[in-house]
Amino acid sequence: MTGKTDDSKLLHDLRSKCSSLKSAAELYKDCSAAEKKEMLALMKAAAAEISAALARLEGAAGPGTK
Amino acid sequence: MEKLNILVLDDDKLAQKVMAASLSAHNVEIAGDLKTALKKLDSCKYDIGFFDLLLGPEDDYSGLKAIPRAVEKGVYAVVVSGSDSDEMIDRAYALGAGDFYAKGNEEANVADILRKFLRNRKAAGARNIFTSAFITGDPETKAAATEALKYATAELPILILGPSGTGKTSLAKILHEHSGREGAFVSINCSAYTEDLLEAELFGHKKGAFTGAHEARKGRLLEAHKGTLFLDEIGTMSQNMQMKLLKAIEERTFYPLGSEKPEHSEFRIISATLEDPQALIAQGKMRFDLFQRIHGFTICLKPLTRRKGDIMPLVNHFTRGARRLSFNAEALTLMEAYPWPGNVRELKKLVDLLSSGAGGRVDAETLGKHLKGQARQAAAPDGDGLYAYALDKGLEAALDRVASGLISRSLRENGGKKTRTMADLKISTRFFYSVMGKSKGE
Repeated sequence: MTGKTDDSKLLHDLRSKCSSLKSAAELYKDCSAAEKKEMLALMKAAAAEISAALARLEGAAGPGTK
Repeated sequence: MEKLNILVLDDDKLAQKVMAASLSAHNVEIAGDLKTALKKLDSCKYDIGFFDLLLGPEDDYSGLKAIPRAVEKGVYAVVVSGSDSDEMIDRAYALGAGDFYAKGNEEANVADILRKFLRNRKAAGARNIFTSAFITGDPETKAAATEALKYATAELPILILGPSGTGKTSLAKILHEHSGREGAFVSINCSAYTEDLLEAELFGHKKGAFTGAHEARKGRLLEAHKGTLFLDEIGTMSQNMQMKLLKAIEERTFYPLGSEKPEHSEFRIISATLEDPQALIAQGKMRFDLFQRIHGFTICLKPLTRRKGDIMPLVNHFTRGARRLSFNAEALTLMEAYPWPGNVRELKKLVDLLSSGAGGRVDAETLGKHLKGQARQAAAPDGDGLYAYALDKGLEAALDRVASGLISRSLRENGGKKTRTMADLKISTRFFYSVMGKSKGE
């Protein structure tokens, strides 16, 4: 797998997770209390994965990007 | 909205949750990987599949492989993916995907997809009825029936006009089948009952409500609760009955004969008549207020003689799964030239006759005999003989003989079914028994 492909898949993953987070935020208000709890846990996990993906992107971009 | 069976393929837990929430009104199953999705597609029947393409960071767009399998199983495949490059879009559509959406606006996109899917399915269903249930290739008839089908799911009453035997009842049934109404299709031919009997049939009665009412009976209005009430030959209903029916339609409640307890029924009305309703109103035979209540959408069916292109497709339809018939060129010409006064019903009877005959190959001679027989039976009796009879017995007796001959023929054609005979000839029960009583006495 090339570095370019890695980047492209990483970016795809990032976009997907951001999209899901956005859609979840839109649906959140209509969820029941139990669903809200479950949704929040999944949203937090997605946010953590987004953060991890950003860190990997940062690493891949090399020094001087901070 | 109709409940659909939906498969969602997505590896992301939050995306799965979002899709499940957006599709909460339907039966949703989730697959987190391709293997599970393929297994589910093989073992269950789904209407729609929502597929993500990249299933995990190490994956190589394996979601694409779910598309052809779904298409093969008759599932409408929709891609919802973050990978919305031109290349991916092309590959997905080439594999048979019906739609491609970029992730990010699931609530609105999913609602759009479902609406489009249901609309397309309904349109496909409407196209199919012309080759399976309501056989016609006539553009005018197809357009009118398609227009009527658009109102199938509405509460709007539908009035079907057309000569006897053109398929008014079949169309009413199809409209009910496409209505999504949970209740039954309940049909009644208003011309086959006297006023009292029609009232008992429509509204039902309590035990002992009248002589002969040995037990309570549910009326057709109640049987049609949450379904469709098809009133055939509504033009023959008395003014008094029209008023009672109008009240029941407006209030959705009515009293069975002999009962003080009102009944409630939410029925949708489809009615039919072979007469011109405007003429019936002008003649004082139909109440204008009832007409207003029953003619939300009006469809007029053409006689078979004005859609001759339908004759052979109808023959093929009637013989499907049974003995097939083959007509030589002269026989085909004869079929087209015949005026078909009894329309599709008459054609069906001819096909039944020919199918039970000696040979499956129909020539002009065989066909001519059958058609001549039908035409002869339909025509008036021999003029000279009838005139002689009238001079001998009087005009009234001669007219009775004509009526008796026509009723006997219709009875024979209808396999002895009196209600169908009375409907076909548009006569009242009283007239039927009066004529048949006289003919017995002869």
